[in-house]
Amino acid sequence: MSDYIDLDALWRVLLASLLAGAGLVAVFSLALVGLSSGRTAGRAGAGLCFLVVAAGIVLGLYTMLAT
Amino acid sequence: MGMDANFVLLAIVIVTALSFDFTNGFHDTANAMATSIATGALRPKVAVALSAVLNFAGAFLSLKVAATIATGIVEAGAITLTVVFAGLIGGLAWNLLTWYFGIPSSSSHALIGGVVGATLIAAGASAVKGAEIVSKVLIPAVLAPLAAILVATIGTYLVYVITRNVPEGTRKRGFKYGQIGSASLVSLAHGTNDAQKTMGIITLAMIAAGAIGKDAGTPTWVIVASATAIALGTYLGGWRVIRTLGKGLTEIETPQGFAAEGSSAAVIFASSHFGFPLSTTHVCAGSVIGSGIGKHLAEVRWSIAARMGAAWLITLPAAAAVGALAWAGANLIGGALGVGVVFGVALALSGALYLASRRRPVNAGNVNDEWTGRLAPATRTREHAA
Repeated sequence: MSDYIDLDALWRVLLASLLAGAGLVAVFSLALVGLSSGRTAGRAGAGLCFLVVAAGIVLGLYTMLAT
Repeated sequence: MGMDANFVLLAIVIVTALSFDFTNGFHDTANAMATSIATGALRPKVAVALSAVLNFAGAFLSLKVAATIATGIVEAGAITLTVVFAGLIGGLAWNLLTWYFGIPSSSSHALIGGVVGATLIAAGASAVKGAEIVSKVLIPAVLAPLAAILVATIGTYLVYVITRNVPEGTRKRGFKYGQIGSASLVSLAHGTNDAQKTMGIITLAMIAAGAIGKDAGTPTWVIVASATAIALGTYLGGWRVIRTLGKGLTEIETPQGFAAEGSSAAVIFASSHFGFPLSTTHVCAGSVIGSGIGKHLAEVRWSIAARMGAAWLITLPAAAAVGALAWAGANLIGGALGVGVVFGVALALSGALYLASRRRPVNAGNVNDEWTGRLAPATRTREHAA
């Protein structure tokens, strides 16, 4: 079976997809929670979350194009 | 065959390749933009325009010679101009037919099916690499939607749990921008991955015809023409497929749309980085289903998902049959004339299908009408241009 499936590539794809696809989506959601809290700490946390998402996107673009 | 006939043959193959690229664009607009259109994050015309620009830009992003998956699965010696042409016709036919029925289906699979069918009849079964088809086409086709369903289900669940106390206004606006951003990434990745396929096919045809050297890179005009064709197709918008993906499979809210596109972008980026060839369409349809499961278990219209799954199963054999038929027809008449006649027949059939679609049109004006169990909204027919 492993002749037909590149298992190594498959689990990497799954892990990266989960981290980026579900993880960054969750981080973005946390940013909205921070924004709506009305507190300065919340806003700062939201800013940090947005930065993490932006960094993830840049990293994603970079790795896809560098392949 | 004289030099002129060879030139005519090559010209027809290039026009056919660009036509395929065009249908690739309008068939797949839905992948990136169906959810943004369905949730109202973007007006329909704005969504397809944004997607078109990003597809165009994406085509220029990666300049490495295209990984032509469609040609890695048959023996290089079996690839003639007529085989490439017939393969493209097979892919084109399947793209148009599934568009007519509003079924999201993989353009890559359609092209691969067409090429395999043409090769089978032209050079026999020994010229087709069966193991490659299993490992690079069939297994990924099963895994892609499953991976996307998993990621989108978890993402959607998290989105709703995390933001359950966020005021509706902030939530809606925030996810609206998030959705536009993630859909843009999907569009960009689509341009990068799919326009490359056409560039690869055209380059291959030019090498086969002796127009450029064996080790020549993709000529600049080929890159520009492929980017333009896919962008034009995207801008035209495959409204029938958009409607199925955005309204038919599940009713999508903004947070779901965001989670779905985020999942699609991640899976597509990851698979192209790690060299695991997944179809954009399979991933995006899986994400939409996952966004339905992640919110409420019962919200997915499984009958439509099943119809789509059935179409995916017959994509390869159906496109292969058309590819084989096209090769046989061209070969029977022979030479550039044979290819020209088959091209003319394909053009006439495409025109007939377009006219048939005009009887119950789906367009920017009615794409978001309530889903009443059928593709074309039954309540009213608007006379907007498609």
